[in-house]
Amino acid sequence: MHVGRGLSYILLAVFVAGVAAVPRLAVGADENTIVFGAALAATGSYAREGALTKEGYDFWSDYVNVHGGIAVGGRKYRVEIRYADDESNPQTAAKLVEKFIDQDHVNFILAPYGSADTFAAAAVVERKKIPMVEGNGASERIFNQGNKYTFGVLSPGRKYLQGVLDMAVHLKPRPQTIAVVSANDLFSIEAAQGALDFSAAHGLKVVYTARYPADTSDVSSVVSAIKAAKPDIIVNGGRLQEALLMQRSLKEQGVNALIFAHSVGPDTPDFRQTLGKDAEYVYGGTQWASNAKYRGAPGFITDSKVYASEFTKRYGHVPSYQNAESSATCLAFQYAIERAGSLDPLKVRDALAALDVVTFFGLLKFDERGINIYKPMVVNQIQHGESVTVWPLGSQVRPPMYPTPPWGSR
Amino acid sequence: MEFNLALQDLVNGILAGGIFAVVALGFSLVWGIMNIINLAHGAYIMLGAYLAYTLFTFWHVDPFVSIPLAFIVLFILGYFIQRYIINFVVRAPILTTFLLTFGLSLLIINIALVVFHGDVKGITTSYTGTNFAVGPVTISWTKLWTLVAALLITGCMQMFLTRTKTGRAIRATSMDIGAAQLSGVNVAHLYAIVYGLGAGLAGAAGVLVSLSYSLQPSMGDPFIIKGFVVCVLGGLGSVQGALIGGILYGILESFGSQWIGTGLQDATALVVLLLVLVVRPRGIIGKAVA
Repeated sequence: MHVGRGLSYILLAVFVAGVAAVPRLAVGADENTIVFGAALAATGSYAREGALTKEGYDFWSDYVNVHGGIAVGGRKYRVEIRYADDESNPQTAAKLVEKFIDQDHVNFILAPYGSADTFAAAAVVERKKIPMVEGNGASERIFNQGNKYTFGVLSPGRKYLQGVLDMAVHLKPRPQTIAVVSANDLFSIEAAQGALDFSAAHGLKVVYTARYPADTSDVSSVVSAIKAAKPDIIVNGGRLQEALLMQRSLKEQGVNALIFAHSVGPDTPDFRQTLGKDAEYVYGGTQWASNAKYRGAPGFITDSKVYASEFTKRYGHVPSYQNAESSATCLAFQYAIERAGSLDPLKVRDALAALDVVTFFGLLKFDERGINIYKPMVVNQIQHGESVTVWPLGSQVRPPMYPTPPWGSR
Repeated sequence: MEFNLALQDLVNGILAGGIFAVVALGFSLVWGIMNIINLAHGAYIMLGAYLAYTLFTFWHVDPFVSIPLAFIVLFILGYFIQRYIINFVVRAPILTTFLLTFGLSLLIINIALVVFHGDVKGITTSYTGTNFAVGPVTISWTKLWTLVAALLITGCMQMFLTRTKTGRAIRATSMDIGAAQLSGVNVAHLYAIVYGLGAGLAGAAGVLVSLSYSLQPSMGDPFIIKGFVVCVLGGLGSVQGALIGGILYGILESFGSQWIGTGLQDATALVVLLLVLVVRPRGIIGKAVA
């Protein structure tokens, strides 16, 4: 009786241990595969950007698999990315990342699109001690939490509009006044704050500033107020949807300015397709431009131009910076894993923290908070239906078309 | 200066209000007559918008021309959805139809996602963004024509409900379903027509929305809450109520955003909703209904 009970306890213990052990083996179901989990918006307000992110991730994984995979301690590993739709919702993103780690036992996490979703995911990977690299959450709040497992390959949000303003103060005639508006989400607020800080430091007079609700369907009253303030420069912190809405409303109310800029939007093909000639002259900050002159380390496409042409061949459209920064996100993992020579989460985390490598996307290097403050932003302007790099001078393809003519005389 | 800005806000509000009126009209009909809070309304708006987008992009059909077509297509869809799906639970407690229409909404949005993808799309016509000035006020042609179309749609609806036999039967059913049945009204058929009208109006509203705003599969959702507020503001089941409520809502949103806080755009209208519920629960035009 007692012996029997003891035996059943032992059996139970073995069973429990077995169950506990099984998931760890599950990762190695196909033993030579590194599995990444990515909760990406396929629906909701970031659906478009989410799709661009996915293209960037997929482009990298296909390239790596075709070229033999990632070398880890003398063995080659294929890569696999598992996706789930976070519905542009931070809570959902956090839940999905937790599921990826606890149930699917993925090796690493590729971040969601957007600051809020990445912020939520960062808390989860921190708790689970699984490294996550992100290329689409530019809010510095993500990195001011003391997180140790989240790394961002992109320049932070406050830099998005500063490039345009840096260009503006070097133009003749020099603009004097500025209106700064933004959607009230994490990233857009920081982008606007960066513009306000820059204006204060460089003597641009802020004549109007406001925050409107993200995902709003109407910004008429904000635009009316901008018009009344008569600024030389109009900058808008927001996403593609808000950039489209703002640009249309500006035209509808006949608001003229020397410079129109949006933090996100002008660099996406959708912005140009949707607005047609109304997109002309608009400036946007961009993380990357295909004509950037970086010489990347081996292991992936080393040249921006080659990246652009290969990408276009594959997806039928020129890569936007969201595509590029997403591929760069994966690339950071690739180099870190190779350098760590291991799939151990902690070792890969340490390798990420120590990373210092030039890629087609620019320098990948993180400060002690985990964000890449070392890479400058590029300014693009839409000229004759094309997104053209106009600033900084070192990467300039054509000079800016300045000033923007009034709506009536285009 | 301040006065000019206020004037511009007033005009912006009125111009935006036309769309809200058409959105709310369909919502209000279905709610007022069948007691269904139709959460699929936003999905029908989205379908109308994509219909206009497709016709415009591939066959260069002007969106204003697509309005009747969107109305008819969505009417037929709505008729069949009511007749063969919702009708089974139309007598069930309101929560049942609430859940059912919510499910329908998810289904339609996800189908749209597969068909149209999540990309943000937009319609840019030759007149998009063109405007004219009246003194200090700038008026967008697109938004002005949108308002005119909205007024025409509500006008037609009013004529239909008051001048046609079916329209009178609809109103009779909403007043006393038993008496209507005794007078030979086929309620199942009539309900399907009402739901079809609701969906058709949503489709027409979707076309109007597509002229000014961006398209994506979940674009209709914010309009459900707006439609809801407008219904309460204006009063349920009345055409004039929807029109006045819609325009009032547009003005409130515009002023709230400018003078109270841009971030509080939606909140302003909702606070007014609460006030109306407290002070005049039947709405501004609506009749007292139990």
